Amino acid sequence: MMVDIEIEIDGKVVHGYPGESLISIADREGIDIPRFCYHKKLSVAANCRMCLVDIEGNPTPQPACSTLSSAGMKVHTNNEKAKTAQKAVMEFLLINHPLDCPICDQGGECELQDVAMEYGSDISRFTEGKRIVDDKGIGALIQTDMTRCIHCTRCVRFGAEVAGIVEMGATGRGEDLKIEPFLSEGIQSELSGNMIDVCPVGALTSKPFRYDVRSWQMNSIQTIARHDLVGSNIFTQTHKNKVKRVVARDNESINETWISDRDRFSYQGVNNENRVLIPKIKIEGEWQDTSWDDALDFATNGIKKHAKEGSQFGTLASKNATLEELYLLQKFTRGLGSDNLDYRLDASNPNNAKVLESNISLTELETIDHALIVNSYLRLEQPMINHRIRKATLNGASVSTINAKAFDFNYRISHSVLTSPQNTVATLSGVLKALHDKSSKTLPDYLNSVTVHETHTDIANVLLNAKNPVVVLGEHMNGNTCSDQVAKLVSEIAKASDAKTINASLTGNTHSAERVNFRPDNGKNALQILSSDLTAFALFDVYPNFDCIDSKNAIEHLSRDDAFVVVMNSFDDESVSSFANVILPIASFYETSGTHINVDNIAQSYSASVKSAGESKPGWKVIKVLADLLNLQGFDFTDSSQIADEALSLTPRISEIEVPTSNSKMPNITTVWQYTPYASDVVVRHASSLQQTQIGQMSEASVCKATAKLLKLSEGDLYKGVPVNINESVAEGCVFVHTNLPRQLGVV
Amino acid sequence: MINKIKKFFKDFGLSEIRAGMKITGKQLTSDKITVQFPEERTPISPRFRGLLALRRYPNGEERCIACKLCEAVCPANAITIESEMRDDGTRRTTQYDIDLFKCIFCGFCEEACPVDAIVGTHIFDYAFETREGSIIDKEGLMEIGDKHEKAISKARQEDSKYR
Repeated sequence: MMVDIEIEIDGKVVHGYPGESLISIADREGIDIPRFCYHKKLSVAANCRMCLVDIEGNPTPQPACSTLSSAGMKVHTNNEKAKTAQKAVMEFLLINHPLDCPICDQGGECELQDVAMEYGSDISRFTEGKRIVDDKGIGALIQTDMTRCIHCTRCVRFGAEVAGIVEMGATGRGEDLKIEPFLSEGIQSELSGNMIDVCPVGALTSKPFRYDVRSWQMNSIQTIARHDLVGSNIFTQTHKNKVKRVVARDNESINETWISDRDRFSYQGVNNENRVLIPKIKIEGEWQDTSWDDALDFATNGIKKHAKEGSQFGTLASKNATLEELYLLQKFTRGLGSDNLDYRLDASNPNNAKVLESNISLTELETIDHALIVNSYLRLEQPMINHRIRKATLNGASVSTINAKAFDFNYRISHSVLTSPQNTVATLSGVLKALHDKSSKTLPDYLNSVTVHETHTDIANVLLNAKNPVVVLGEHMNGNTCSDQVAKLVSEIAKASDAKTINASLTGNTHSAERVNFRPDNGKNALQILSSDLTAFALFDVYPNFDCIDSKNAIEHLSRDDAFVVVMNSFDDESVSSFANVILPIASFYETSGTHINVDNIAQSYSASVKSAGESKPGWKVIKVLADLLNLQGFDFTDSSQIADEALSLTPRISEIEVPTSNSKMPNITTVWQYTPYASDVVVRHASSLQQTQIGQMSEASVCKATAKLLKLSEGDLYKGVPVNINESVAEGCVFVHTNLPRQLGVV
Repeated sequence: MINKIKKFFKDFGLSEIRAGMKITGKQLTSDKITVQFPEERTPISPRFRGLLALRRYPNGEERCIACKLCEAVCPANAITIESEMRDDGTRRTTQYDIDLFKCIFCGFCEEACPVDAIVGTHIFDYAFETREGSIIDKEGLMEIGDKHEKAISKARQEDSKYR
């Protein structure tokens, strides 16, 4: 129980907790204390000395960030003594800081500039030469100008404490002190962009944004990042109808003050020139630019002609579409009398969706004491969820994994079981059986024949010993043909160990898709749509080359002569042009209003930050007009918020999915295909700076020696177009492909 | 009575005409102040704020670093700047337009400029033949600067001791 204590700051009586720093009390009370090294989310370093305050009874001024409050303290932040100290510190800081504010991208939003306006002197007494520091490049995302560095070490502490990868450090002493990366390859963290936000000066600035526009020229618009399950809160900063930069927006319960690099730099994709800007129709194999009216007529006539019965029509949508788009699209499809619709394009067994629910909030994740991560490279898949788990590990939580490869997490893994996709069911069954054995519950029939290994018992033990465990299921299971069983077993394991669960297998806005029932009740799912004799299709921001699990077959199927394909896309794509009959340009991220539902089931609506590029229109408007032209009822919307209201007021239908308990046959050697986080959706694939990072350029097929021998692969060979890397971190019997290349050859 | 006599002599002695003619005579022989513009020009203060120009360093490098402070301070929003990183890594403008219909010649841009790139010249007699002609682009501004650099730097030199 925290006890209130009373202290006095500048004559104002304020309350704090014992052990709370003076600066955090002052911040809460709105009393301004200048600071550079203090950051509310980082540890206290007290090395900039800017926050010196006068404490009665203390002969010297004390730093407010590292001085803890105690009852009866009388603090002065702006009396003669404090002011003199702060001014002196400011003068010292400015000794070596260059006066290049006019060309500094931080100019106008610089903490040093702001504080210098108030505490600096207008005349420098320093006549000696200023220090100049060499710049080592630290990658494609962050521009360094270390001459401007004031050694606050926020970036160093961010790396060590939040990103969990110690990449920057201080070397040298005194005049020679430098903040620099330890390795020459550059920063590799997936959260590295936050260093730009924490840097109080212009030493670390955004590289893609370099020298573009000034901070005061831009409008900041509150919006939501749509790439992952978290829906991080961001500001898009726009100038002349272009998104120029994305910065984090505080939201304690969702993304705190951090955002992932994917959310921060993906805006470059939206500005990419490879956008579809004009409606296009294909007549006798030739593409023609046309007007919206003609293109819409062409599309609706084609649908009428090719889908005489509703059941001949199928719809596929991107998992990154907005709630409104998904809702209208399913209404449109069902209005045509079809139940063939799906968004689970990368699932080789789309029956798993509702087997496992997420039932723990992001803030609760920090309080867990054990996490079992199944089939996931969580750090790259869901950086913000991983960050919460990392925070828990800093408080003593342990983590175990069941994965096809030993991944590079930014916390220690206590138990790791390597298991290939075909053995995942056996491994999970083993863990479940071990759990049942420990808690002496009656064993379900299907576990009778399961063998329990020692590793399974270890994982069961830590799960049972933990008070607040969580089980996280990730993306890799999508390629598994037994994914429904995997999901079921994970939920059983969670039940047996009283664990909470997070289903991170389907990312983006999939919670919206589930909410509006964007999957077939009795009709065809994604795989069936792309393999049966449907004759009319609508594709919403789908790029089969990347998005579909069996891309080769999907493209072939859509290219049939009797198939009529209406494509609503934001980006140009060769393979799409090869099979589409009409391409309607739709607005991309930040160009349309919409709603994102995150892993906590929080629906966050946002408005458009900029106008749609070229002649493209927001997706919901295009679907609405298509529906009107086809005389479908119930599309009388004038605003996307009306659609969201209607979509959210409906309760989703929950259809029970039967999960087979017997193992279906799987090949002896399987492939786990994972895209790099910067190839996970079409917008981020077009973000050029992210593609230049190490994470973005990752492309290797990892395989262990024994499996390589079976497949007759050697180092450097191409496996499905991806260079082979033989190492022992991969489970036997599978190839782990982590790449930014499309699935041209299809994965089985 | 005496006043009437005084007036009589004053009127018939043409004294007022003589006074007028005296001034005329003085002007007739003194130097003329009419300036034969444009062949002749009046002296101009070094602080005169005329047509704007962009300057270069003596080595030929453009001064402007695209900090956009002039654009920010301009009360008439007459300045439009686009910037980029030039191949040598320096910050440069790709577009620098001044709309002279908007410009009020307040000189704030010159005050704001950290590198003395944008300056007011002594030129005040200019005309456009088209409506679009009011917008001078970077090239045009540089041209004015190049042409009048001598006068510009001389004016800065003269004024420097009062700054």
